[in-house]
Amino acid sequence: MKFLPLGYSAIMRKPVRAILTLLSVVMAFTLFGLTIGLNATFTAIAETSRADRIYVNPRFGEPLPTAMAGQTRAIPGVAQVGAVGALFGYHQEKKNNEFVMMVDDNMRKVRSDWPLSAAQWDMIARNRTGIVISRIAAARWHLSPGSDFVLATPSIAKADGTGSWTLHVLAIADDRPDWANGYMMGNFDYFDKARPAAAQGKADWLEVLANNPDQSAAVGKQIVARFANSATPTQTITEKAAEQASGSGLDLMAVTRGVAVIGLLMILFLTANVIAQSVRERFAEFATLKTIGFSDSAVLTLVVLESAVPCILGAMLGVGVAAAFAKAMPRLFPPGFAIPVPTMTPMVFVWALISAVIVALGSSALPVLRLKRMDIATALARR
Amino acid sequence: MLRQIFIVSALNFKSLKGRFWQSMVIVVGLGATIGVLLSMMSMTVGLRAAYDRVGDPGRAIVVSKGAESEGSSSVTRAMAPIIMDAPGVAKDVDGKPLADRQLNIGVPVLRLNGTKGYTTMRGFGPKGVALRPEFHMLKGRMFQAGKRELVVGVGAQTMFQNVKIGDQVILPDGGWPIVGVYQTGDILDGQLVGDTETMLTAFHRSAYNSILVRLASHDTLDAFRRALTTNPALSVTVERHSDWYKKISGQATTLLAVLAYVVGFVMAIGALFGCLNTMYAAISTRGREIATLRALGYGAFPVAMSVVLEAVALAVAGALAGAAIAWLMNDGRQGIWGVNIFHLSVPPSMIGLGVGWAIVVALLGGLLPSIRAARRPVVEALRAT
Repeated sequence: MKFLPLGYSAIMRKPVRAILTLLSVVMAFTLFGLTIGLNATFTAIAETSRADRIYVNPRFGEPLPTAMAGQTRAIPGVAQVGAVGALFGYHQEKKNNEFVMMVDDNMRKVRSDWPLSAAQWDMIARNRTGIVISRIAAARWHLSPGSDFVLATPSIAKADGTGSWTLHVLAIADDRPDWANGYMMGNFDYFDKARPAAAQGKADWLEVLANNPDQSAAVGKQIVARFANSATPTQTITEKAAEQASGSGLDLMAVTRGVAVIGLLMILFLTANVIAQSVRERFAEFATLKTIGFSDSAVLTLVVLESAVPCILGAMLGVGVAAAFAKAMPRLFPPGFAIPVPTMTPMVFVWALISAVIVALGSSALPVLRLKRMDIATALARR
Repeated sequence: MLRQIFIVSALNFKSLKGRFWQSMVIVVGLGATIGVLLSMMSMTVGLRAAYDRVGDPGRAIVVSKGAESEGSSSVTRAMAPIIMDAPGVAKDVDGKPLADRQLNIGVPVLRLNGTKGYTTMRGFGPKGVALRPEFHMLKGRMFQAGKRELVVGVGAQTMFQNVKIGDQVILPDGGWPIVGVYQTGDILDGQLVGDTETMLTAFHRSAYNSILVRLASHDTLDAFRRALTTNPALSVTVERHSDWYKKISGQATTLLAVLAYVVGFVMAIGALFGCLNTMYAAISTRGREIATLRALGYGAFPVAMSVVLEAVALAVAGALAGAAIAWLMNDGRQGIWGVNIFHLSVPPSMIGLGVGWAIVVALLGGLLPSIRAARRPVVEALRAT
């Protein structure tokens, strides 16, 4: 226990230096928290995407007749098929892009892992103009159950000629990591019947749940073969593969990891310097401590303590700042700006703590070596 | 005064050797910051440059009213000739307008690593090549109008499987062979090109995506736009080709730029605290020296200046080192973003920006210590050990 006051006085000997060191460690770990948190988000997306859910997309852009859903259902290995209409448009101003997935009632079985309650799925099915939206989407447009949301769709014709859809918010559901911008889901039947006769009976894509994830690839191939010679050939991709393919082709995880490591190395260099200098200044003091009977390990503990306190404290503060920033992020960026938000999982904190300990030990290593080799008499004489 | 600043600074830099590792904190801190900033920005800059090159300011693009991308735009067969014959469009040697009906269709492709992806298949009409002086064939031959064949961009070949000469691309009416490889030096290099009318038939489409024209001169855009937007038979948006691509590249590159600046900003603040720390330590090491100078009659300002100058010199050295590393690692490397292929780039302007950041950090980090150095009472400093 006697170390604590000693360690405290060592750190507070130069308070400006201590605070500056702490602050730079905080910044490094803010960066660390954000980048590793971003990696946690990417991992979560990879984990939520399923290998047994197959998207059936038009191969050449023409929408798919809904009759294909029934034909797809008959293919062996297919458990469920749902149809989706994509309502792309903007809200109030052209720059406010928004997208509502209009789903048929089978989609509740295809997307059984989505965070919608049975009651919420019922709401979508029963209210033609109703939508269930996620928290992020609700926050973006300041919507709550009962509010109206008007979407203009210049590229999707409506039978009444308006291209304007008034949708009623029924309920708010939880978000999904792979829908970083939130989501909105409405009623496919309304979407379908509101369109001009020529455009009716068509889905933008189908979603299939396979009986067995290992057979998804084979099921996908069968679906493609089934419609290869129809007016609307298809292509299929599992949700998992789509998630991998939707990436920009850039290994963002490697980039963020690289940034985190460079930030840590920079801070390692910085704290190592500070500790080295602090030890250099107090060389004679350490000699005195040894003279009055402090053991080698006691003196070393003191030095390690001196670097560990700012590192660990700074790491926790820094990750805290990162968490606060991540929480505020959806409000900081304009709507429709698809920036992935870092997830502050407990593992992020654990990694930060481990890194902080490594930096603390690394930065005190050289001074510790010097103290170990110290010749007490010379050190005292230098004074 | 200037002489004093010079003498004090020279003395200062001579003593740097003794404070080597301490001073390296500034160099390493800013080197890491600027290196990371420029590496991340090299993607944004390269991508933007690839877009800017397609956007020839001498061309204009016509899309349906309010369309934000070529894919979501549609120009009917009836509208096309009105647009192409409008005033302000340059004429080719054969007297016909230098204008082209374009198609823009997404086609599924297999990436080299086996994952599925998309690229853009573009339709060129008879004037497609004449409109684009940057387009030239590298290998094989150009597709023939009316034939079901395609040419592929040189960049697409480095990203996707099955796009060599002789390979077939599966379209709704069967396989279309690839007969040649072209290069444009911009994002078209990652795409495929075929004959507009033949593709239109194959895809059962009745409308083009856009019309591209060469303007008679740089200033005829307004006349051209007025002719089209006042014509009740048309409902279109006219944009200078360069402005159009600036808008598109803005959508694609803002995210990357935001990421780079957020990371760079956080690191710069970290480096700033490191800089403050180092400069405070430096003036405390140099305490006696400074006090002696003051006692000899040197002013407070030259002393303060010498501290700031030292910080700036170290920071700029660090920034240049970081920029050099970023340049060596990234400049010229081929990058892929979505369906676009481009070359990463660390241009002198970005290096300048990095050095600018470093100077700001050094000024902020040197200022407080310099004030303290200048204000410290001489007697007290001389007495201190």
